[in-house]
Order: sequence, then structure tokens, then C-alpha cells
Amino acid sequence: MSVKRFVIIGNGPAANHAAEALREKSSESKITMFSKDPFRSYRAHLLPDFIAGLIEEEDLYNRPYAHYNEMDITLRLGQRVVNVDFSKRNVILDHKEVVPFDGLIIATGGKPRIPELFQLFGDIMMTLKTPSDARLWIQKLSYVDSVLIIGGDLTSLSLTKALLKLGKRVKFILNEDAFWPVPLNEEIYRAVTGRLEQRGIEIVHCRRIRRITQLEENLLEVETDSELIEVGALGAFFGLVPDVGFLARTGLDIDRGVLVNEFLKTRFSNVYAAGDCAQVYHPVLRDYWISIGHENAIALGRIAASNLAGSHLEVQVEPENILEVGGVKVNTSWWTEF
Amino acid sequence: MPEVDFTVEVCGMAGDGTIAAGGLINEAMSLGGFSVLGFDSYPAEIRGFGRCVTNSRIGSNDIVALGEKTHALISLNDEQSRSRAPFLAEHSLVFFDSNPPAYVSEDNSLLSVLPPGEEVFGMPFGELAVGASGSSRGRNLTALGGFAAVTGTDPNLFRKVIRDKFKSKGEKVVNINVKSFDAGYQYALEKFSDRLKSVFPKIETGHDPQKVTLSGNQAIGMAAIDAGLKLYFGYPITPATPIMEYLAKYLPEHGGRVVQMEDEISSIGAVLGSFYAGARSMTATSGPGFALMTELITHGVMAEIPAVILDAQRGGPATGLPTKTEQSDLHAAVFGGPGDSARIVIAPTNVEECYHFVIRSFQLAEKYQTPVIVLTDFFLDNRVENRPFIRASEGQAASWNVFPDDAFKDRYQRYADTPSGISPRALPGMQGFNFTATGLEHTEKGSPDYSSENHAKMSEKRHRKIRYALKDLEKPAEFFVSDNLDVGVIGWGSTFGSVLEAVEKSRKNGFKVGALKITSLFPYHSETIKAFMAKSRRVLVPELNYEGQLANLIAHLDSKPVERLNFVTGAPIPPSAIQNRIEELLEVVA
Ligand SMILES: Cc1cc2nc3c(=O)[nH]c(=O)nc-3n(C[C@H](O)[C@H](O)[C@H](O)COP(=O)(O)OP(=O)(O)OC[C@H]3O[C@@H](n4cnc5c(N)ncnc54)[C@H](O)[C@@H]3O)c2cc1C
Repeated sequence: MSVKRFVIIGNGPAANHAAEALREKSSESKITMFSKDPFRSYRAHLLPDFIAGLIEEEDLYNRPYAHYNEMDITLRLGQRVVNVDFSKRNVILDHKEVVPFDGLIIATGGKPRIPELFQLFGDIMMTLKTPSDARLWIQKLSYVDSVLIIGGDLTSLSLTKALLKLGKRVKFILNEDAFWPVPLNEEIYRAVTGRLEQRGIEIVHCRRIRRITQLEENLLEVETDSELIEVGALGAFFGLVPDVGFLARTGLDIDRGVLVNEFLKTRFSNVYAAGDCAQVYHPVLRDYWISIGHENAIALGRIAASNLAGSHLEVQVEPENILEVGGVKVNTSWWTEF
Repeated sequence: MPEVDFTVEVCGMAGDGTIAAGGLINEAMSLGGFSVLGFDSYPAEIRGFGRCVTNSRIGSNDIVALGEKTHALISLNDEQSRSRAPFLAEHSLVFFDSNPPAYVSEDNSLLSVLPPGEEVFGMPFGELAVGASGSSRGRNLTALGGFAAVTGTDPNLFRKVIRDKFKSKGEKVVNINVKSFDAGYQYALEKFSDRLKSVFPKIETGHDPQKVTLSGNQAIGMAAIDAGLKLYFGYPITPATPIMEYLAKYLPEHGGRVVQMEDEISSIGAVLGSFYAGARSMTATSGPGFALMTELITHGVMAEIPAVILDAQRGGPATGLPTKTEQSDLHAAVFGGPGDSARIVIAPTNVEECYHFVIRSFQLAEKYQTPVIVLTDFFLDNRVENRPFIRASEGQAASWNVFPDDAFKDRYQRYADTPSGISPRALPGMQGFNFTATGLEHTEKGSPDYSSENHAKMSEKRHRKIRYALKDLEKPAEFFVSDNLDVGVIGWGSTFGSVLEAVEKSRKNGFKVGALKITSLFPYHSETIKAFMAKSRRVLVPELNYEGQLANLIAHLDSKPVERLNFVTGAPIPPSAIQNRIEELLEVVA
């Protein structure tokens, strides 16, 4: 039998655990991972600590390059997959390289969501997903002493902690549209705002932002329906959305994420999706849910790999762990912050 | 300023502008005040198109050897550049065309063979060039723009050298090329804004105007012209051909001529002929051509006619490895040929010496009336250095001909047996002298004489003359020599740079190591070499040949065995290989 050729798109927890599980189950196969990001696999939840100067950049990374050599896994960083041809069974890279596969795991995670309303201001809104975003924050924070956070997802709460640690002034516009990945109800809103205010954070209660003016490179004026705010930087924290846009025309079933069954299989044979990018069918709920969180990603990555290697494992999630956020069913776990 | 020691390679197909891009890197870095050693290589099998690679080592201190690992690779053709992946250092920067004209299979992709730690910078080279200049021909320059931006190099250095390179083609061409460079520069600044490095900080002292960026072959050609070369005779052969090309371009401007002969035998014949007539002439060849010349070289020895022969060594024997480097013609240069045919053999170790040794070779040939062989090799001929370089004055290149005194008119003996062995030589046309040049054994007067006494006497005279030449031949140079060395390393030719770097590194590691550079290979300064060997508890001779040809030549000078380090990979010896061997020997010494 010829050597099986597995391709994994992604280098987050889902992708890495999938690769490792695949290697455990098939010692002969050729495994290649692609990441559009140029850096090694990192622990996203430590990014705020890096910004706060509590840890070095090196501490973010959790797998040395040698690890991939030892596992005989080819890791290709800084190389974006732009298309998948499921009939020819190839992935196509940004630089026009065509890589064939026998089996494929899509583990492209999520990307910061900017609601349509704010997309115009995309340029000036800072987000936090990767070490390079963190570096931008560090750079920015060396020039500014106040930050306005719009949104209010869980990552923004840990970033806020880092900002306070650095002695920055923080203002917060809690946006119900954004309280990801848990639904923002009256009770949570009060609890959160109370806690933030206790820490010296100013909560801006408003319904909408009228306009944003860049006064200087490091000075912005934000006009809301209730007040005029001058700040040095603006952070947009509206959660993450599955990063699957590049698959839109491939024939895969896509809703918010890649639709997979409870075995994480897509409609194409030997093609699976796992982690934040997958929308997993729940047989009891008879609906799809999105997984959010590090541990979920690991669990899903391992299941996808096992199934690709011939197992028949089902994703086990208690229906009560799945919450409804803005009309989307979400499973969160392992959030240190909440 | 942090120490810079950075190697960059450009790899592409012929026609991609690879060599031009590498040349611009050398020039720009030199202009920036850095020390540069560049080396271009290409395979022998050039059938129309082939792979070209330029390698530039750039440093804040003097660079004397090639870098062993590449810190940045600029790929103008990914399929070709795959072969460079094994030479990449960890975390190197790889620039590649992110929008090639067609889809590429994984088997032909550069990125598929890179280790994960390399940083890749995809740029649409061709597209950017088209946008900037209307043609994709400037894609090598957009690539350079990316390289400059990511490495934090002052773009004005590149702009200046691009302008200089194209200025003869007019302002429009200059602008197009600068625009292509700028397009790549701007693109990379924006696209890779969070990954920009500062590899090449600004050197405050800037460019040393005495530093000239030159290849070994260019230095040889320039030396020949400065020496007043009248005639060059040659037959093309890698790696000597560029000398002929250089001279074909510039020698006529200086009143000289280049004549392509039908082969190497006629080339050396013509060189002897013109020197016989008093005109400086030379030929350059490589191993196979040199072999053909041997009989006439011995004719020069016997007839005592000057000649300058440059042997640009390649891998051998026979046709061997035309585009690879080796130092395996030493025996042939020193001993090759029938009879006791001692001649002078010298070998430069760097580009600057290529220049000065070639000038000196004319003078030695004139004074000692014998063929002088200058031994270089592919790695020296084709390398580019930017060392301070001062051209010889007319006086320094003056003729060393030893003409007979008018008093000897009418009783002139062409082969007069003098204490030095040098017989003053009259040139044809000098009134009152007779002219002879015979390959037969002859008397002092020049008449054939095969008697045993005469042959013994004249053989002695000719060898005395060669021994006497030692006083005009450069002495071995000592580096870090003290009274007792644990290891003494002896090097020659293109390899000496690696020797020096290895010795310096071993010394930094706290070892007592010294080096000796031998440039006069025959006759050689045995006393100096002997003294160096006596001071060294171990003697190591690294060279690019299998047989240990220099080691063989000098081993008898000391009672302890000479350690050999022989490399026949066709590539220069990496300094680390010498350093490792030194340190292995040190363990034995300790
Ligand atoms: C600041 C921050 C703090 C967090 N804190 C916590 C926490 O405390 N607890 C918790 O449980 N979770 C936390 N999370 C969420 C958690 O990090 C994610 O849920 C988890 O990383 C998802 O893993 P994944 O493997 O599915 O995707 P990701 O980790 O997002 O990885 C996706 C990978 O896919 C690659 N990729 C995407 N598209 C392409 C493409 N087209 N071609 C090639 N490669 C592609 C990316 O480069 C990346 O390597 C946090 C996230 C952030 C940003």
C-alpha cells in the first residue's frame, strides 16, 4: 500500500493534537501542516501576560521546531491555503503551490470578528489573536496611556487586566452584540460592569458610536450617543468567527464554520474539521454548535485524527454545556477568566 | 555596533538576473562599509540555461572565507533554489515569488523543502516589477527591494549601485530599475511590517574609498593591463575564460591585443615567441590546457625564455569538474614536464594578491628568463572581494629584464654562466648581440652540446638561477606565531582564508594555534617553513586535493609527520572543518 498523505490546515491546538494523534496511529504516513501565520504554535491565553511584560515572547510558544522533526511532521509556517480542490484532492497555497492529500483535517480556528457596523474602522481597531497582534499592542502601548475597548469578549477582559498592570487608563463600551462566548444578559452585564468598575475601569454606557476621528497618530476621538471620548488606542473585541472564508467555493457545507457530523467528518470522504472552525452536529439537539476554547480544540483535533485513521469516535458534549449566543450555539470550556 | 556576519544567496536560472542581483548586493554592502566576499557558482552542464547561485558573505570585520550557512536566500526560481535549502541556517530569511506564472507542484516547490524555522517572505516579484516598469524583467530588483526592507538595509545603497550599474544605458533604464527596486522595497515594508529586522546597521565610517569590489579574474586582467601586457594568447576554458574576456574588452584600449589561438599548445608557443621578442605576453588556462602546455613550458626552461602562464585550477584529473574548485595542479605546476625543468610557481591567496602576483610574475619571468606559473583556482578566480586595493604604479610594474652590457658586444654569450645563473638577455634587434633560443642542450654561447660535462654544468646553472630567484619571492607570512604552538597550520592558495578564519576561531577558544601562508611554491623558503614546523607540536596542511600535494612538497622539512586535511568535494574547505581538525589534534596534543 502506498504511503498515506495527510494534510492539516492549521497550527493551533486542534491541528497540533490532530497531527500528533495521526502520527501515533499511522507511523508510515506523510503528515504536512500549514499555517498562514509565520510563528510556532502558541498559547493564546498567555498573550495578555506577554503584553503586560509578565512573560517573554519565547514563553508563548509551546512546541520547539525539533518536536516536528522528531515526530516526522512537516510544518510549513507562513504559508496560507487559499483553496481546496476536493475532486482532485489537492490543497492550493497562496503562492500557487498544489499539494495533494489522501486525508485532510481543517483546523483553521477563528479570527477576530468585527461587526459590520465597525468594519469601516477596521484599520484603527486593534484586535488580539496572535503573537504579532500582541507585538503591535506592545508597540502601541509605548506611545499611549489610554485605551478604549469596544465589545467585551472574554479575551478583552484578560487584556484589560494587562493594561491595568501597565498603568494604562481603560474605558470600556460593553456591547451586548459582543459578549462572546457567553450570552450577555442583564445579570452578567451588571456583574461584569461592577467588577470592571471596581478595578477603576470607566464603563461607557451607550447605545452606539457615532463617529471616530483620528486626531493624531496616537490620539483618537470617539463620539458616542452619550459622550465624547479621547483615547490613545481602540481595541475591538467581539469574539472570534470561524476562519473558513477561503473554503466558501469548494463545495463544503459551510454555515458559520465548516459543518461536520458528530464524527467531525465533512461531506467529502477523509476530510474532517476540528477546533474553533468547525460547526459540529449534535444528535440530541439536532442542531450544529460551535466549539470555542483551547481544550475543546484539543479534544476535537484528536477525534478528527483518530477517525481519519480509521476509528469511529463521536464527540461527547452534554447539551447543557452548549449555550446560545446571539443565535449561535456555542460550547465554551476552560476559560480561565470567567 | 553589533558584529555582522551574514551570508546571502541568490538562486535562479540563467536569464533571471541572478548574477546581476548578487553583484548588486556585493556592491551595495561594500558601499555601506561592510566587508564582502562573494562567490558565484553554476553547474558545468550549461546547455542554454542552467542554475546560477551567488553567495555573498557580508561582515563588519574582514571576511576571508565563504560563509558556511546561508542566512538569507533570494529565490528567483524555486525549483532551482530547492538545492540551496540544506545550506540554510536556522531561522534564515527566504524570499520567493509568491505569484509565479503557473501553478507549481509540491515536488518543485522551494517551500516544501524548507525546515519549519525558516522565515518565508512571499512577494509577487514579477507583478511588482511590471507595475513599476511595465516589464517583469526587473523582478530580480524587486526581490532585492524586499531583501533590503526586511534586513533593514539603507535603500540608498542599492539605489546608488543600481544607478551606477545602468548609467551607461541612459536615464530611462536607470529609472526603470530603481523603480523596480523601490516597488519591492515599499511592498515589503508594508507587507512584513511586523517582521522587519535590522541585520545591517548603518556603519558610521561608511565606505572606504580604497575598497574596490573585484573578482579574482578581474584583478588578474587588470594586473596584466597595468603591467603593460602587449599580447594575450589563449584558448577558452573554464574557469580561466573570464580573464580572456576581460582583456578582450579592455586590452585594446591600452594598445594590446588578445588572440584566440587554436589550442593551448599554440598559445604557450606564441607567449614564448613574444617574450622572446621582448613583449610582455601571457596565457591563462586550466588543468587540461596546462597539461598540453607542458612540453613548451620545458622549452622555455631550457631556452631560458620568459613566459607567464596562469593555471586556474578546477577539479581534475582530465576534464574533471570544470566548474568546481580544487588545488590539485600543484604537482603538475612544480614538476610537470620532462627533464629537470625547474620553474617558478607562485600562488595568490586572495583577490588583492591575484593582482600583485600577476604583475610580479612578469617581472620574475623577465629577470629569471623562465616560465612563471601563477596558480589560482575556481574559488579564487570567481570570488569577489572588496578589500582596500592600491594599483601598482608604472615603476612598480617596470620591466625586470636583464640586458647585456654594451661592453659584451661581440663577445656576448647568451647563456653565460654567472654566479646567480642569470645570463643577461639580448632581445632580437639589439645591435652587436647574437640571438638564440634552443631547446637542445647548449653551451654558454648557445651552440648544441650534448657532452656530459656541459649538460651537468648547464643543468646546475639553470637550477642555481631558480634557487637564486628565492630572494625575489615573497616569504611565507606568519599569523599568530609564537615560540611554541600546539598546532601550526600551513595553507596556500584560495584555501588560506579558511585556514585563517579557523585559526582565529580556535585562538578565541583559547588554543595556541598559528598559521603560515605559503605563496611561493617553487622555489620555496624552506628555512622559514622549517622554523615554523619546528615551533609547532603538530603541523596541519589543509588543501583542496586528495594527495596532499603541498604536504608532500614540504613534509621532509621536519621529522614529525605532517597532518593532512584533504578536501575533494569541489567546494572550498569550510573553516569549521579546519577548526574541528585543529581541535581534534589539540586533544591528542594535550
Ligand atoms: C487572547 C486569547 C485568549 C484566549 N484565552 C483562552 C482561555 O483562557 N481559555 C480557552 O479555552 N480558550 C482561550 N482562547 C481561545 C483559544 O485560543 C482557541 O479556542 C483555540 O486556540 C482554538 O484552537 P484551534 O486549533 O481551533 O484554532 P487556532 O488556535 O485559532 O489556530 C488556527 C490555525 O489555523 C491557521 N490558519 C487559519 N486559516 C488558514 C489558512 N487559510 N491557511 C493556513 N493556515 C490557516 C492559523 O494560522 C492557525 O495556526 C483564547 C484566545 C485568545 C485569542
